[in-house]
Amino acid sequence: MFIEYTWLIPLLPMLCFLIIGFVGQKTPQKGGYIAIAGAAISCILAVLISYEYLTGDAYPAAVTESIHWFTIPGGFEINVGYYVDGLTCMMMLFSSFISTLIFVYSLGYMGEQGERRKRYYAEVSLFLCGMLGLIVSSNFLVMFIFWEVMGLCSYLLIGFWSFRHDDGDEASANAASAAKKAFLVTRLGDVCLMAGLFILLGEFHNLDYASMFDPANIAAVDSDKITIAMLLCFGGVIGKSAQFPLHDWLPDAMAGPTTVSSLIHAATMVKAGVYLVARGYPLFVQDANVMLFVGIIGGVTAFIAATMALNNMNIKRVLAYSTISQLGYMILGLGAGGYLMALGIQHGDAALIAAGTAGMVAGCFHMMNHAFFKALLFMCSGSVIHACGTEDMRLMGGLRKHMPITSITMLLGSLSIAGFPLFSGFWSKDLVLDIALEAGDETVWFTVLWILAVITAFMTAFYMFRMWFMTFMGEERENAQHCHGESPKSMTMPLVVLSVFAVASGFLIMFGLDGIVGIEYTGAAFVVGGAETEGFEYFSELFTNPYTYLTIALALIGIGIAYLMYVKCSINPGKFNKNGESWLYKALSNRWWFPQLYNQISWKFGYGIARGVDYVDRQIIDGTVNGLSGAVVGGGSTVSKMQTGHVQDYSSIVLLGIAVLSVVFLVIAMITGGI
Amino acid sequence: MDISSIFGDFTAIIPMIALLIGVLIVPGVHLGLKKPTATWGVALAVVIVSLVLNVILLTGDYQGTTLDMASYNPYSGLMILLFQIVLFLAVFVSNSSIETTRNNTGTYYALMMAAAMGMMFVAESSDLITIFVGVELTSISSYALVTLKRGDSRAAEAGVKYVVIGGMSTALTLYGISMIYGLTGTTEIAAIAAQTQLTELNWMFGIAMVAMIAGYGFKIAAVPFHMWAPDVYEGASTPVSLFLATGSKKMGLGVFFQIFLVMFVAGTACSAIAGEEIRYLFAIIAAFTMTVGNVVAIAQSNIKRMLAYSSIAQAGYILIVMAVMNDYAASAGIFHMFTHVFMKGGAFLIVGALICAGIGEKISDYRGLAKRAPFLAFAMMLFLFSLAGIPPLAGFTSKFFLFSSAVGTVDGATSEWVWLAFVAILNSAISLYYYARVVKTMYVDKGETTEKIKVPKIFLAAIVICLVAVIVLGVYPQLVFNYCEAAASFLLP
Repeated sequence: MFIEYTWLIPLLPMLCFLIIGFVGQKTPQKGGYIAIAGAAISCILAVLISYEYLTGDAYPAAVTESIHWFTIPGGFEINVGYYVDGLTCMMMLFSSFISTLIFVYSLGYMGEQGERRKRYYAEVSLFLCGMLGLIVSSNFLVMFIFWEVMGLCSYLLIGFWSFRHDDGDEASANAASAAKKAFLVTRLGDVCLMAGLFILLGEFHNLDYASMFDPANIAAVDSDKITIAMLLCFGGVIGKSAQFPLHDWLPDAMAGPTTVSSLIHAATMVKAGVYLVARGYPLFVQDANVMLFVGIIGGVTAFIAATMALNNMNIKRVLAYSTISQLGYMILGLGAGGYLMALGIQHGDAALIAAGTAGMVAGCFHMMNHAFFKALLFMCSGSVIHACGTEDMRLMGGLRKHMPITSITMLLGSLSIAGFPLFSGFWSKDLVLDIALEAGDETVWFTVLWILAVITAFMTAFYMFRMWFMTFMGEERENAQHCHGESPKSMTMPLVVLSVFAVASGFLIMFGLDGIVGIEYTGAAFVVGGAETEGFEYFSELFTNPYTYLTIALALIGIGIAYLMYVKCSINPGKFNKNGESWLYKALSNRWWFPQLYNQISWKFGYGIARGVDYVDRQIIDGTVNGLSGAVVGGGSTVSKMQTGHVQDYSSIVLLGIAVLSVVFLVIAMITGGI
Repeated sequence: MDISSIFGDFTAIIPMIALLIGVLIVPGVHLGLKKPTATWGVALAVVIVSLVLNVILLTGDYQGTTLDMASYNPYSGLMILLFQIVLFLAVFVSNSSIETTRNNTGTYYALMMAAAMGMMFVAESSDLITIFVGVELTSISSYALVTLKRGDSRAAEAGVKYVVIGGMSTALTLYGISMIYGLTGTTEIAAIAAQTQLTELNWMFGIAMVAMIAGYGFKIAAVPFHMWAPDVYEGASTPVSLFLATGSKKMGLGVFFQIFLVMFVAGTACSAIAGEEIRYLFAIIAAFTMTVGNVVAIAQSNIKRMLAYSSIAQAGYILIVMAVMNDYAASAGIFHMFTHVFMKGGAFLIVGALICAGIGEKISDYRGLAKRAPFLAFAMMLFLFSLAGIPPLAGFTSKFFLFSSAVGTVDGATSEWVWLAFVAILNSAISLYYYARVVKTMYVDKGETTEKIKVPKIFLAAIVICLVAVIVLGVYPQLVFNYCEAAASFLLP
């Protein structure tokens, strides 16, 4: 009964966007309560729908309903509608839930922004609308539209602080350029995605999931085309989910308000890319090489991003790099699983297909857990920044006594992301590592990626606790001394709620989550959900696996080293980096010179082309256009002079016209031999 | 409830009969009550009754014939709906417009309804003579409508020009029809089509065709028979301009569809004239019509004249159908007629509303309008952008269908009319120039005052109707396009 109203889920935040946009300034909190209400109702609706779907008769078959939107001549049918399956349920639940908490938190965090809050709440509502619409839509085109809505909102929100731009304020200028960077870099991916969708549309003649995921329809299509299309679609993922080599926009996007970072990193935006891979699994697994590429990108991203987090001094940037790194894990899990499934489909091997299912579970499970702990971590860092007025960890320290709630919740989040046993990150990260290792049996590539991922796990534990110790332990440095205590209730309450989830969401895997989000291939159909769940076997499986102890040990060593360096100070970090002079330290500080590389490419290469194009444009095209438009405008006045206003002239022109037409007609008739 | 059980054999013409009753009683109401608002109410009620009757027939898929003369079918039903929408918009705002003469209220509404009735009869006809009579009913009523604005020398001048050129066109049409009759011995279009298949035909047939194209080309203001249009639209009161630009023009295009499409496609054409010559002729007329319309529009400083030229150009786009001559093109053409009603109608309504508020007709009078009337300026911008063909507005969608029919995407092969699509797209670019200029005047240029403008509520309601239609048809064209396809497949089975 609720499931027919799935379309309301994205519509409610959209409605909030309109209400706040038009009359937000007249409402309390400048629209804050409206935005919260919209997100909360969406969340409740998502709960009801998920419950109805998962307990309903149709489960595990996807429930989809669409209406015809338009037809493109040539038999291309475009529909619009909703599509509910296990993956949709999981995504909409955590997105709407976390967004609700973030909006509540915003009451405190953005409380001092006055009139600007209207713009803020309107934009975040639209942002949420984009994410939820993307999740529930029933075809790739509608998904792409919402994908772009999010692109627009991320631009607007990252550039939120740019209103002082005209006064030459440096932070404003940074915000403006970060917003532009986010928009342009993701655009590069979007163009690829669009091209991929064009190919898919051309082959399938529609973009509905229901028909595109049907193995019979897939078999009818040229498999090379699918390979190219899916590689292009993955280009979109690289852009949106900040994967190597388009990862560089995400750290800069920290220029926006911390709540926005939290929204982008945890509940929306970057998750869209991972979701696209999970959603498009039936198409991605048609070619093992595509999935190998996906896995490589994921593993490399996880590693590179983690290295850059090692020596960063900005609390938000450390978190940003950790997001990229964790996204890499998700993509790696999906890629490894997809690789096995692709091989399984190729050779008809049921065991490999089942392993592929586990890969999808690992990726999605990590996405959900990451959403909880990353939202928590960002909101904690927001709380710290709110209290200290700086983002530089060198100016913090010893905040544990001033901000007890923040410090404890952040500790829980850090333990979770570091993969401390029994915390949520531990479960999903080990599943990802497990599946990567399993894929390593098929190709050595995945063994290499597994090694990278294990090293990344160590680095994660180190940099997260480096951050925590520098912020909350040790001596009180500059800004920490005049910190004004714990943040208001509206900010700490969401932290506490989220920390419960960050700690415990991992246990969901033992209560049937793997059966809900895993994709099954039966030969006749791809079905998400409905699979057997392993339940508590995960527990025994993980703890009888020697590699699990390896990662636990590495995580503990990472935490230990961080403790020795930043609390005990018995190891001087300066020894390793020659006091910031070593080559490696500089490379990391400069983000492996990626920004410079981008600049070089865009200046030398892009700007060169642009200059050439500019020349052609100004001299040749503009010249032609100007000439033509001059002729057109001049022609307009000349012809309008023919409009003398004398009815005699009018009639003679009519008669002249008839004469000319008759002659033309007869000439054509003679040429074609009609008469 | 089956409506045909009530009206029997006359079901097919029941929308017109409703209007006919209105034509007869409205002058009486005016003389009896002497209250313009009461007359308006009666006229509006009649229009709505007629509209409802037609919607019932159309949605009920009714088909039938009255007296072997007027037949109701998916095509005519849709065209009647279009004329009724136009009539409704024009009548709806007439009581609030200061331009619409109050002392002639009865005559005014009666004439307008009579003109619409003529259009509707044309839509139901399949015979050259009944088409001719219907067109004349519309024409003669419109001559009077234009001059009804008393004491305005521009209106009188426009009326005289309209009558003179109109009379000449009538003569030409009759000349063409008589030649056809002389050649084939019939005036029924289907019979003529059958006849042309059997007989070897000569150049006389061609001359007859050209005469008829010229005669009806006057109605749609195709170049070079367009000269009257700007003068008349400028001189007439704005609701009448709206009525002529969106209604009367569509009748002319409907006539083209009914006569030439049926004769050359449905009749699978004769051996002597394979339709090819006529198609080239239409292609040339279409290209000239859109180009002249758009180019001259650039030079206009009066917004009504500019809109007049823009409607000439829009008719040029629709004439693409006559060159392409397949059912996809025809449905696209009919759909563009619908979207054009709302976008051009909306633009004229805004001009009319602003005239009521004391703003002139010069484009320069619209300076700073965005500050003075934010909603009107915004709506005008959308209507103009829709006319220019900017997504996601209705004008884009219908133009997309039209142009793609010329490119020939239907069967996958490129058609010979790609050049025509190219000309049309070039013209769209030109048109953007003068549409955007109005938008710039409204939004960028500073006005002399920033005083808010008050316009009659009725106008606002009508503008909102058009605005909603322009957006909805742009986003969800299938709503009407399904009917257009049904109509086109009736014309070209």
